[in-house]
Amino acid sequence: MSTAPARAPQDTAVPAEIDPQRVFRTIDWLLVPLLFMVVQAAFHIHAMLTVGDWDFWTDWKDRRWWLVVTPISLITFPAAIQYVLWEKFRLPIGATVCVVGLLLGQWVSRTLNFYGWAYFPLNFVWPATAIPGAILLDCVLMLSRSYLLTGIFGGMLWGVVFYFGNWPMLAAFHLPVNHNGVLLSVADLQGFEYIRTGTPEYIRIIERGTLRTFGKDVTPVSAFFSGFVCVLMYFVWHFMGRLLSTVRFVKSI
Amino acid sequence: MAVTAKAATLEGQSATQRPLMNYPLLVGGMLVLSVVFVSLRTYQQFFAWTHGLDSTSVEFQTHWMRVLYLQFALEGVAAAAIWGWIWRTRDRNLAALAPSEELRRYMRLIAWLMMYVFAVYWAEFFAEQDATWHQTVVRDTEFTPSHIPLFFGAMPVFIIMGVSSYLYARTRIPQFAQAHSVPFLIAVAGPFMMLPNVGFNEWGHTFWIMEEIFSAPLHAGFVVFAWAALCLGGILMQAIPRIVELAQTQTQRAVVRPV
Repeated sequence: MSTAPARAPQDTAVPAEIDPQRVFRTIDWLLVPLLFMVVQAAFHIHAMLTVGDWDFWTDWKDRRWWLVVTPISLITFPAAIQYVLWEKFRLPIGATVCVVGLLLGQWVSRTLNFYGWAYFPLNFVWPATAIPGAILLDCVLMLSRSYLLTGIFGGMLWGVVFYFGNWPMLAAFHLPVNHNGVLLSVADLQGFEYIRTGTPEYIRIIERGTLRTFGKDVTPVSAFFSGFVCVLMYFVWHFMGRLLSTVRFVKSI
Repeated sequence: MAVTAKAATLEGQSATQRPLMNYPLLVGGMLVLSVVFVSLRTYQQFFAWTHGLDSTSVEFQTHWMRVLYLQFALEGVAAAAIWGWIWRTRDRNLAALAPSEELRRYMRLIAWLMMYVFAVYWAEFFAEQDATWHQTVVRDTEFTPSHIPLFFGAMPVFIIMGVSSYLYARTRIPQFAQAHSVPFLIAVAGPFMMLPNVGFNEWGHTFWIMEEIFSAPLHAGFVVFAWAALCLGGILMQAIPRIVELAQTQTQRAVVRPV
């Protein structure tokens, strides 16, 4: 492949009949929904195929895996889009735009498909929210104007607050119940009662083993570990944003 | 007679009055896509649980395989018609393109991209739906009631729209006609590769018939190709400076215009 100049010289003489303000207004009307749709569609596909299982079902929302893998996977697009929107448009809303779009797509799907088609109750299939972490990530970028500080402090906050941001929705499902002499959580009971034939119980990836002996410390340990990996992931995806927003042209393919 | 009168009116209409963007056409196109996909979703509601569980049954053949064949036929016709139209009506003299018309073409390109992204949205809708079906129902064919609208409905539609966007830019906008835009190529080719990846997906599922983990490595191909959609930002970064350049030149001309 041979490279070509970014743009060849062209005639820029514009006849006076088009009001430039009209052009800019039209661009705004078109680009805002366009960017929102592409981010939410691609981000949703990414999320459902990387951490979807933990997000689909309440009984997968545990204290060991869910709060570790979900923030790590979800910081990807916010980091990349933050780069594009901040670097090119000076808009400190990249992360929030991503997660709001994601949440919108998830709620539409959970309502019309999981509930409307497969008949699972909505309180079993509700999506987790990453909005608190996204607001913090955007705020750190806006206040620091530094990708380095955003990655370190914002990335850590993103991972740490995820579980606590979802706690108001999740708490009731982690209450213990005694079911036929077996102690389990309300979420576990939901999973046993609503059969998923294609996803049997024994493949559920949730906390087990020695981490349970940490008792109340499981959540902070997992959240802190998630924050650590989120810091690293932020920088990886920051550079993905740079890479994928290339403006190169080539002469031949 | 009516056609002649309409043409005369259009010719007499000043460029100021001509809309920069054909919103009715854009909204109409999105409505057509919505009607198609909402119809498929409604069809699923009525016939997935009743006739879509056993691919060896006669009911499955009549209710689902016919939908699949109908989709293939419509998609083939749509692709040939749209791509053929764009190619046949291409601008053969881009050097003489008036700047005001160039601006309008950028707007139409953004409209094409809107259609592309809207189709990707529907693919995303049916993709998560695929989870609820296959984690609930064991599959015995690749042509399941959730795969037919997803892999063989929404995916071909967004491929048609993506290629159409690229063709439109290559045949009508000087910047994209002179050289291939790298982000444009990635934004179209990446999501396109999701369809060939279906082959790997179905091949892999023959090994894990009973256990369905949606975030399994088997699905990673779809993830990577979805990332390519981020290149849309690069396309806009290429287009917007030129649009601003055209519009700002317009402002300068207005300032120096004698009164």
